[in-house]
Amino acid sequence: MTSTDSDTKISRRPRRVSFEQLRARIGEPEERIKAKVSDRIDAHARRFLAHSPFLALATSDASGLPDCSPRGDYPGFAKVLDERTLAIPDRPGNKLADSFANLAGNDGVGLLFLIPGMREVLRINGRGYPTDEPDVLARMRTEAKEPMFALVVEVSEVFLHCGRALVRSRLWDPASRALAAEMPTAGEVAAEQMGLQIDPAVLDQQLEAAYRQLY
Amino acid sequence: MQRTILDRVEPVADDVLSLVLRGADGPLAPWEPGAHVDVALPNWLVRQYSLCGDPDDREHYRIAVRHDRLSRGGSEYVHLFLRPGREVPVSVPRNHFPLVEAPEHLFVAGGIGITPILPMFRAALRSGSDARLVHIGRTRESMPFSESLRRFGDRVRIVVTDVDGRPDLTELAAEAGPRTQVHCCGPASMLDAAEAAFPADRLHVERFRPVEREFAPNTAFTAHCARSGRAVQVPAGESLLDALEQAGHAIPTGCREGVCGSCELRVLAGEPEHRDDIGAPGGRIYPCVSRAVSEQLVLDL
Repeated sequence: MTSTDSDTKISRRPRRVSFEQLRARIGEPEERIKAKVSDRIDAHARRFLAHSPFLALATSDASGLPDCSPRGDYPGFAKVLDERTLAIPDRPGNKLADSFANLAGNDGVGLLFLIPGMREVLRINGRGYPTDEPDVLARMRTEAKEPMFALVVEVSEVFLHCGRALVRSRLWDPASRALAAEMPTAGEVAAEQMGLQIDPAVLDQQLEAAYRQLY
Repeated sequence: MQRTILDRVEPVADDVLSLVLRGADGPLAPWEPGAHVDVALPNWLVRQYSLCGDPDDREHYRIAVRHDRLSRGGSEYVHLFLRPGREVPVSVPRNHFPLVEAPEHLFVAGGIGITPILPMFRAALRSGSDARLVHIGRTRESMPFSESLRRFGDRVRIVVTDVDGRPDLTELAAEAGPRTQVHCCGPASMLDAAEAAFPADRLHVERFRPVEREFAPNTAFTAHCARSGRAVQVPAGESLLDALEQAGHAIPTGCREGVCGSCELRVLAGEPEHRDDIGAPGGRIYPCVSRAVSEQLVLDL
């Protein structure tokens, strides 16, 4: 890959707009839009969660520096414990535990759920903490393995977010999948970023082998 | 998989729904009492349910599903989201719990364990057997099909444990004659009690959940696929089923925990280490859980 730093360097930082100016220019949201925010998981949200195999999990550390991380499994992998409580399995990953490290200093959680083929997304905000409660982990057993921990989210805001972003991004259009072919493989990226004198194909094979251990 | 349409959903007890599935492409595959099917749910989960309808009705299958409080997403999905009209793929029936013919039968069913027992009990009576059924449940409201059992009179005994306490299975065993074949389906605690009470050669059980057991540490081995001539390495950290799937073999799968039998394969040589709860017949293996004692295993694949 070639560096494109020189192409994108800007002569000065982009100017900052205050929230007051921004609000004045975009206007106020309609009352019915504000009213769509619920403080609990109703029957529609529950049906959405039962069909969603993927979510993005946002947390931030005590200083406010945020992080966003993907989670995925079979549809409904995020369990509704009651109308105010969700539990998300913590499957084996890279052991960085970034999200749990953040939650130790700041328990705010933002979740964005996707359903393949559906344009609208479900968003849930709340407060989170890790649990090892056996009855919660038992509901997450896959291929005879339970996760070691689950993330409990005490829900404060639940709402369906309109589909414009997904319409514009053509996210579910099968033709969009061709974009991935324009990307180098993860092994090629890693070999270059880490300056490794190793065949990228070997890294890719190792990654494929690791992907076989999902639980 | 067979295509079916969910025709009817009706409650048959607290937290239990009866589902009638109609064959979408003509008559459904035949089955014997005790058989179960894999049901493929829209949330990618595949669950096993005993057939509890009439084997002579080739147009429909009937199953009953209890909403498990600790549901991993199967029974919860059925109860909250599955509605009539939905197409539901269903496997061909398999039977690991066949009715053993005898002049006398005792059936012991715990809660939802009545589902395979119901058609077995009817078939035994039709064959002229002196058949009796003990249906055990916590409360009367929690016990499916108790109304339809009423017509069998004193051949059926309903035990409500909240009122009557747990039945003493050793008493039942003492009453049963030497020619009585015992078929038992229910929660693990009940099956354990049955295994302690009845002689092993006359007791037949079906489990819903794998028994918790400790196994020797996994070792790596090689699976030779006799038909394709391929050798598949199975590392210690991977199941035989996963290794075969990765090597490109399409194998039907269900529970992936050694209770349903969907992934059964024939073993031609080598010594399997059976870890399933079905009791693999000679020359068969369930690769989702079972491995090999020998370094090589030859499969009819």
